Amino acid sequence: LIGAGKTPTLGGGFHANLGKESRAQTLQNGKRQIHHLGNQLQLNQHCLDTAFNFFKMAVSKHLTRGRKMTHVIAACLYLVCRTEGTPHMLLDLSDLLQVNVYVLGKTFLLLARELCINAPAIDPCLYIPRFAHMLEFGDKNHEVSMTALRLLQRMKRDWMHTGRRPSGLCGAALLVAARMHDFRRTVKEVIRVVKVCESTLRKRLTEFEDTPTSQLTIDEFMKIDLEEECDPPSFTAGQKKLKIQQLEKALSKKLEDFEGEISSYQDEIEIELENSRPKAKGVFANFTKDDSIEDNASSIFGEEEAEDEELEAAANHLNKDFYNELLEKDRLKTNEDGACKNGNEAPVRPPALESLLGPLPTAASLGITESIKECISTKDREPGENTGDGELDLSGIDDSEIDRYILNETEAQIKAELWMKENADYLKEQKEKEARIAKEKELGIYKEHKPKKSAKKREPIQASTAGEAIEKMLEQKKISSKINYNVLRDLNSKGSNTPKKEDDSTDDSTSTKKLSRRKSIASRNIANPVNSVGKR
Amino acid sequence: TPGVCPPLTPMTPMTPVTPASESSGIVPQLQNIVSTVNLACKLDLKNIALQARNAEYNPKRFAAVIMRIREPRTTALIFSSGKMVCTGAKTEEQSRLAARKYARVVQKLGFPAKFLDFKIQNMVGSCDVRFPIRLEGLVLTHQQFSSYEPELFPGLIYRMVKPRIVLLIFVSGKVVLTGAKERSEIYEAFENIYPILKGFKKAS
Repeated sequence: LIGAGKTPTLGGGFHANLGKESRAQTLQNGKRQIHHLGNQLQLNQHCLDTAFNFFKMAVSKHLTRGRKMTHVIAACLYLVCRTEGTPHMLLDLSDLLQVNVYVLGKTFLLLARELCINAPAIDPCLYIPRFAHMLEFGDKNHEVSMTALRLLQRMKRDWMHTGRRPSGLCGAALLVAARMHDFRRTVKEVIRVVKVCESTLRKRLTEFEDTPTSQLTIDEFMKIDLEEECDPPSFTAGQKKLKIQQLEKALSKKLEDFEGEISSYQDEIEIELENSRPKAKGVFANFTKDDSIEDNASSIFGEEEAEDEELEAAANHLNKDFYNELLEKDRLKTNEDGACKNGNEAPVRPPALESLLGPLPTAASLGITESIKECISTKDREPGENTGDGELDLSGIDDSEIDRYILNETEAQIKAELWMKENADYLKEQKEKEARIAKEKELGIYKEHKPKKSAKKREPIQASTAGEAIEKMLEQKKISSKINYNVLRDLNSKGSNTPKKEDDSTDDSTSTKKLSRRKSIASRNIANPVNSVGKR
Repeated sequence: TPGVCPPLTPMTPMTPVTPASESSGIVPQLQNIVSTVNLACKLDLKNIALQARNAEYNPKRFAAVIMRIREPRTTALIFSSGKMVCTGAKTEEQSRLAARKYARVVQKLGFPAKFLDFKIQNMVGSCDVRFPIRLEGLVLTHQQFSSYEPELFPGLIYRMVKPRIVLLIFVSGKVVLTGAKERSEIYEAFENIYPILKGFKKAS
């Protein structure tokens, strides 16, 4: 819906650019940045073009929204580097842009995922020529590179490269290769070129030292290739840790056993000692011993138990008649239904209730066993379920434990003092903010920043024709200030062919200023067309 | 150019189904559970921070009180709106118990805290398959789901579609599973990935 009719203003220059669509502007800007960055990386034109294609795809998928343009550009370039197999690291881009490498990495991963581009895994061998060149081996560059490549192959077969930065491995390989060819390259020189930490390089060298290949002489190494492949260092370390843990567990268990034995010996000795002590006699003897109280207690309970037994006997006797009666009834009942299980299980102590009320209806006889089972199971499934009103369930919470988490008066005062001191700046800011708001309120220009309401209630559009309705809707939604409303109106009436060009030229000078102030344009009366950009 | 596939029209990628259905015999251990609950009342964070022993509050850095309890060992973020996040528990029951304890502390500090909409948001599990895994091979055959960038992260990031779990797979054979809302999802994801990992076991 952009106003048709190309006005002959080809030499507009600055103004013509302003009139371009935002999308084209973005793309042009991106192209410029890609070329700028790509030249710093010494990428050829083909790579730059491919990067620009990636960028176009990214823009069309709206992946540039909410992200720094530079990050997206860098990600596009790195994607090209990966697909073309150039020896550029993400670290190089990060160095150029002074951005954290992981931030760039995040953008790169997202871009690769969204564009469905699977960059092949980095092969550390790619970096060897580049680093070798930077280490200046002169004539022997090729030889050293070959040796380094061979070392790298060996490291790969020994599972040293999985999960590691390829640059670290390259550094280690080059260092060893240099030494093998009598070049004295120090660790410091290598890490400056390779961009890893000294400890990383040392670790790689140590790991290589642990492999059987490191024991070969230089000549042997160049000729022989050992069959055995080592385990990755992290796996070996993990296994070692596991073994140590198991050993420790076995050890502590043994210790426990020994302790148990020792304590059992201890107990036996104690008992023997006690038995050999002279025993006090008489009634008061009970009170002198420490465990006498327990003896007394058990004797009391013993008496109670004896009483209980008597009661039981009496109860049994009374119940006997009822019991017999019940059994009779139940047997008859079972003969009738043949389904009632409950009656068959003759309880040892017949429940008194049954004898009084007669056989109660069972779940089976009522036919609701299934529903009862369901109810019980749902109850079991959600034991800790909230009550309907969301009250806090206090079961299992020890109040004294909770009280320990709360400070008393003096402690609270001290903490308050410390906190006030710590957060003095913040409190000052808050006070100033409040004072500012109060002042603005007084002056009546207080603008409260309310959180954006997602559902805006709009008045229903009242329009007589479809064209008018569309106009009003566009005004409300403020889609674009660049729409030629005249054309919209003319859409229905097929008579008119071209929009009014005279309006264009007169509005041109005034409109350039108003382009940036969309709100005012939208609020303008649409009768005066907002079609400054009607020329295409 | 190798390895570049043009973006296709969207189709749902399916995790490749492996025929062998033997159980791995390894059970992933839960390491962390993140849950949220609504205490349903506005809270004065300064008040809480100054009265509780185990609370820290740095309004300039973060707009919530960070509270910790020892049993179960967890950390909670309590916001002024009354919402709370509880992390660090090792089982679902522990997470719920810890959240209730935090709510009780808030109650005792004088706020009418309730316990609404307790929900487990994330569960993290880990386990060890006990053999080295060839990550380069895995990323080649499962490129739709895997992402392996040794320059950025030593592990392979596998995004499983069903159940929707993210697995971090390391060359040492250790596997971390995250993104689950239920324990069964972690178990299911591991049973799905185990046969695939066996296929990339280092020959020894």
